[in-house]
Amino acid sequence: RQSIQQTYDLTRYLEHQLHALAATYLNYLGPPFNEPDFDPPRLIGAEAVPSATVDFQLWRSLNDNARLAANYQAYSHLLCYLRTMDGATPTAMPTLRHSLAHFRASLQGLLGSIAGIMASLGYPLPPPVPDGTPTPNSHFLRKMDDFWLLKELQTWLWRSAKDFNRLRKRVPPSAVMLHLETRGF
Amino acid sequence: AQRHSQQDSHTQYAQLGKDVTIQCGSVDRGAVVTWTANNTDLDASHLNGSWLVLRHVDLSHSGQYSCYEGSSWHLKYRVNLKVGTPPKEPVLMCRSNNYPNGFYCSWHLPSPTYIPDSFNITVKHDSKEIVCEKDASPKNRCYIRYLHLFSTKKYKVTLTVTNALGRNSTTISFDEFAIVKPDPPENVVAKPIPNNPRRLLVTWQYPSTWPDPDSFPLKFFLRYRPLIIDYWQHVELSDGTSHIITDAYAGKEYIIQVAAKDNEIGTWSDWSVAVHATPWTEEPKHLTTEAQGTETTTSSTSAFVVPSTTKMYDSERQAN
Repeated sequence: RQSIQQTYDLTRYLEHQLHALAATYLNYLGPPFNEPDFDPPRLIGAEAVPSATVDFQLWRSLNDNARLAANYQAYSHLLCYLRTMDGATPTAMPTLRHSLAHFRASLQGLLGSIAGIMASLGYPLPPPVPDGTPTPNSHFLRKMDDFWLLKELQTWLWRSAKDFNRLRKRVPPSAVMLHLETRGF
Repeated sequence: AQRHSQQDSHTQYAQLGKDVTIQCGSVDRGAVVTWTANNTDLDASHLNGSWLVLRHVDLSHSGQYSCYEGSSWHLKYRVNLKVGTPPKEPVLMCRSNNYPNGFYCSWHLPSPTYIPDSFNITVKHDSKEIVCEKDASPKNRCYIRYLHLFSTKKYKVTLTVTNALGRNSTTISFDEFAIVKPDPPENVVAKPIPNNPRRLLVTWQYPSTWPDPDSFPLKFFLRYRPLIIDYWQHVELSDGTSHIITDAYAGKEYIIQVAAKDNEIGTWSDWSVAVHATPWTEEPKHLTTEAQGTETTTSSTSAFVVPSTTKMYDSERQAN
């Protein structure tokens, strides 16, 4: 459970990091993207970004494996998108590029942490994500995709925090230890 | 002459401060009629032929107006005049105090209209309309169940208010997480801790409206101050539902309140009900026997030996 707590703490740290990063990035995108009430339609490009939205009852009934797998797959996808965001940020904005790189590295850490928990609980990792990030055919559509990517990331981190809260309470430490022993640790 | 009053009653609305004309039903404009207001005759100055004209009406003009044909005193027309105002833009607020089950929206008008208003609310999410279940009471509130969680799409709520004199509406849009605001913590209790003159133990409970503390734990904010000082001290607690205040002023009565917030999303609750407590203070020690002779003692009910100087007092008490 210790590693679930650490993963939860990492999620909170990422959430905090993203809060600042998103504000900076949206300001870089400029109006209307940085306006609080901006509520654009979600176009095809952005539809491919894995959505955190989930049916309430379904989410409640997810077992631990499915809950972790959903997180793992989402961040695998989101990391691919983040890399495309990197390319779009002008070299003239080193601070933003640095923040993006730092955030991406932390997110990679979260992915590794989730994989670790899944392994320790004996769950198979979901298949790797095919890199199918669509390239928008206009600068404005690119910005729209980035807007939705940041929003999804924020929402996924909230969802993950709730998922790990649930797991912390439900996964007894012995379950983790038992599995490690059977794997000869 | 006997007035014949068989006539079904009509309702007419008039806007506060405006002029209003009431026709005597289908009676000819030139006919001779008499008008009464709440059965009191109105003088001819208000008449324009058979029409009744009221200038700059106010609320006191509301009432029952009846029109009688001049010669036969036959009731030709009766109307209930209701003076009011068109609705101003309503104030609409949505909040989730039992996340993730759902959220409620409540509304009110910034000023009364004095006439019946009807409200219609529509809730849209991801271009789908969601049912807002009206509460039996209070009437100006309805409840929306979350069908989906962790949505990036905003909720859009439109409230339209209509009455006989006009219509108005307001629209708000918000993210799922922005409106999460728990109710205040409940059963806040503060107690002194024996033998600790500077400590107070504060305990509280999750608001009973918060449905799933395991998945959605709350963090808490505690504020406390001595009654005599107007400056709050604060402490944020991310786990648990108790706290020991360790820096209380000895012997001073404290006022304590707690607020709650979801760990990641939404805003802080209102402050809980205030509770009062005073840290433990040592019982005043009584003089030992050596010091008796030099000090008079007040009567004491404590278990210590009663000083000899009070013997005379005891014998008098036994005599009574």
